[in-house]
Amino acid sequence: MTEEKKEPKQEEPEPAEGKKLGRRDFLQGLSTLPVLGLFGAAVVQQARFDRKQKTKAAGTVKPRAGSVSDLNVALLGAGAQGEVLLNAMLKIPGLRFRAVCDIWTEYNRKKTVNLLRKYKHEPNAYENHEDMLAREKDLDAVVIATPDFWHSRHAVDCMKAGLHVYCEKEMSNTLEGARRMVMASRETKRLLQIGHQRRSNPRYIHCRERILGEAGMIGRIATVGGQWNRSAQPDLGWPARYAMPAERLKRYGFRSMAQFRNWRWYKGLGGGPIVDLGSHQIDIYNWFLGGRPVAVTANGGIDYYPASTHEWYDTVMAVYEYETPAGRTRAFYQTQTTNSSQGYFENFMGDAGTLLISESANRGAVYREPSAPAWDEWVRRGIVTAPVLSEDPAADAAAAVLDVRETVSPEKYGLPVEFTDPYHKPHLENFFDAVRGNAVLNCPAEVGYECAVTVLKVNASVEAARRLTFDPKEFEV
Amino acid sequence: MVPFPRIPQPVRQANASGDRLTLVALTVMRVAIGWHFLYEGLAKLLKGNWSAAGFLLQSKWALAPVFKWMANTPDVLAVVNAMNIWGLMAIGLGLMLGAFTRLAACAGMLLILLYYVCNPPLPGLYYSIPMEGNYLIVNKNIVELAALGVIAVTSTGRFAGIDRLLAAWFRKRSLKS
Repeated sequence: MTEEKKEPKQEEPEPAEGKKLGRRDFLQGLSTLPVLGLFGAAVVQQARFDRKQKTKAAGTVKPRAGSVSDLNVALLGAGAQGEVLLNAMLKIPGLRFRAVCDIWTEYNRKKTVNLLRKYKHEPNAYENHEDMLAREKDLDAVVIATPDFWHSRHAVDCMKAGLHVYCEKEMSNTLEGARRMVMASRETKRLLQIGHQRRSNPRYIHCRERILGEAGMIGRIATVGGQWNRSAQPDLGWPARYAMPAERLKRYGFRSMAQFRNWRWYKGLGGGPIVDLGSHQIDIYNWFLGGRPVAVTANGGIDYYPASTHEWYDTVMAVYEYETPAGRTRAFYQTQTTNSSQGYFENFMGDAGTLLISESANRGAVYREPSAPAWDEWVRRGIVTAPVLSEDPAADAAAAVLDVRETVSPEKYGLPVEFTDPYHKPHLENFFDAVRGNAVLNCPAEVGYECAVTVLKVNASVEAARRLTFDPKEFEV
Repeated sequence: MVPFPRIPQPVRQANASGDRLTLVALTVMRVAIGWHFLYEGLAKLLKGNWSAAGFLLQSKWALAPVFKWMANTPDVLAVVNAMNIWGLMAIGLGLMLGAFTRLAACAGMLLILLYYVCNPPLPGLYYSIPMEGNYLIVNKNIVELAALGVIAVTSTGRFAGIDRLLAAWFRKRSLKS
């Protein structure tokens, strides 16, 4: 202490011992306090921004309106897809399941009825849809998930019986069948929603309405790419003790249990992977490009599976040509069923950016072309989220070998809409809301028909081994 | 009563040479680092579900087993997470306001040293969490660590900071006794 006292007394940098704290000491001591205020203001601003982004995203999901009186619903076709739809529907309030109809009474129907009982529904079980329609007089709506070649008959009969119909895609395996469905919907004035469920997916709606529509941020789309690549899969089997009698199979149009289980691969029953998988995504091409294609050139074949059990092409590559108001667009689509590389997605490539979207687990991003104007405004308006660093080490590696021939990899912006419900739920909700008179169908019969025309032409082009054109009249019923 | 520590030499020297500007510059640096710490902590807190697990599991180099053990032991991880969030915020506040500056700077150095040895950018080590720049041995952690070293030995809190008031208060008490 004594040493300290010998130090020369100075006003700065600190108050000398024994001396009373002066005004200056207080000023200097608290001089950095205002920075804390600045910090607080910045944090509040940032929090407000985050919250706004979140509510904007939530805003795209329309709240359910109107009364939630119970609708009486039947499930027609209780196989794998029927189960997917049912699981989504069990999360929708206001539905009472009154009937389940499936020809595989020993297995599918039993399983589904048991599941519904667990959820306190008391459905009656049917094998034949005509019996169901004859006995169930107070049904409001039916959800159809039977094999494609049954869709037309089932949907038309149900509409004629006065039911509103949600029918899985593909609308039908033939255009005649699809046309009958459109006509029946018009004649009976019943609703017919086709199961292209991406049309009700809030992420897809956001992309179409805000990213492409409001912001137009990816510019002129000259090319589109998309795919659904799926791993090689063995044929579907069945427990021997649950096999259906041959007579019943025949009555419903199947040659054998093996054909019944793997109907998607057979001509006359399904349409093959391009229809099962491609249809969903090619529908998005039509929807996002706002038009119908003028031509398609496709190539494909049964390259991998035995042709005796796989009549439809396991590998298909197709190029559509669109004439959009902005100009020509070529859209490539591939589906192959021997390897799952890159999974499934749709990729819209504009001169200012790329929109990558997939139904799969929130996969989606918007990439800004380096030459495009800044996108800060779209971030501010909640159309995309701020760019994130590349998560792909390969992209960094590519940057490392960057030379004059390459362009810098584009910034990756996120989609602000999160969607965690079952994929089919919003589309089913849209249907049931429409049945209640509170909504307009997102994929009515005419739209499903357009998609069927667009997609079925791929198989025709593969078969013809040449480019086929679309007559605009083909899309009309 | 233990006498209050001597006034650190560098401050006096800076002052002796009349170099107020040096002190102002050091204070700006201290406040900036404090801001960074405070927001790193606050952001993790606001995120709600933040966890150090991802960072710890990436750990490479000599101490990797220790960090991985932390990440894989839920109770330890909970403590690590809490200490990170509140530690970062406390250090940030201390640096920003110049309160217990030297303690805050030293604690900050320790924390950053842990971050560094968890995932050091040594030749040949590769991380899958992307980094926003290019680093070899020296990264921004080391730069901030070094800067905190400067703050720890210059006591700018007594120039512009609450330490100025605290120091006087402590001294008064020690003089009384």
